[in-house]
Amino acid sequence: MPTPDAAPRGIDPRGPRFAAGITAALLLIGTFLAAIGTSAHAGQASIVQRLVDPGFIVLLVVDLLFAWSLISPRTQPWSVLFRRVVQPRLVPPAELEDPRPPRFAQGVGFTVVTVGLVLHAFGVPWALVIAGAAAFIAAFLNAVFGLCLGCQLYLLLARAGIVGRSAARA
Amino acid sequence: MTPVAALLLIVGLVAVATIAGVVVARRDGRARRVASGSLDLSGLGIDTGESATLVLFSTEFCARCPSVKRMLRDVAGTASGATFAEVDLTHRADVASRLRIVQTPTTFVLDAAGEVRARFGGVVSRHSVTAQLDHITGAHHAHA
Repeated sequence: MPTPDAAPRGIDPRGPRFAAGITAALLLIGTFLAAIGTSAHAGQASIVQRLVDPGFIVLLVVDLLFAWSLISPRTQPWSVLFRRVVQPRLVPPAELEDPRPPRFAQGVGFTVVTVGLVLHAFGVPWALVIAGAAAFIAAFLNAVFGLCLGCQLYLLLARAGIVGRSAARA
Repeated sequence: MTPVAALLLIVGLVAVATIAGVVVARRDGRARRVASGSLDLSGLGIDTGESATLVLFSTEFCARCPSVKRMLRDVAGTASGATFAEVDLTHRADVASRLRIVQTPTTFVLDAAGEVRARFGGVVSRHSVTAQLDHITGAHHAHA
């Protein structure tokens, strides 16, 4: 019988929001570039044109940053920036947050943007714009209002036993 | 898309996201009156207070619950005859469905008979909880 894993050590809840703010700005830029670029008529552009599209490149960078935060959260640039530059200037957090829901949210962001990048590479029009816009809305809501849509999804799945402790025992 | 059209798209995106955020944030912590007798709290092991009970529904993943818990405990402590109880819903999805709890923290305010009289979804302010308590017990409390 596997022992249930204890909740991991908490993190400063302002860290993910700080990262979400930078991510939201990058996603907005990427979505704009995608909108004025080849995304609208991706079917007519050559594959090379689609891959060197500035919107594609910016959103690819954002995607790689999502992947980085999933693979090694503590070395991810925004995480480092927060700990070194922002956090020392803030009062200690009133509470620490379970890192699993925000981490899951990074995974959702990664999935959405990756789907947009892949569809765009295959010539699907508007895929890049839509993916960028969707990811932007989630990142913006998190940064500005502290609403974490990915976290809510994690909680729904955790209640259903698909992720988390119940899943380990199932 | 022309740059101008793309700019309008961007502005529209920010506007939509802002409106959505404001709407959802405003719903946080608003009291909802409950029809008496409509929610069954038996079997949850809640010790009801003489004049009122504050019940917090939380889960292990709930980042904002600890601060609400501290506040509710404190409010119950300063109000005579009121007690505080917490119910962990992490492994009790059946209870959550039965009581129609869709987010944590959710706070129920019970009257002297143990009936649910008001509920708050999301982070609730001390002021809102105290106002409901006063309304239900008919007492006047000095605000901390």
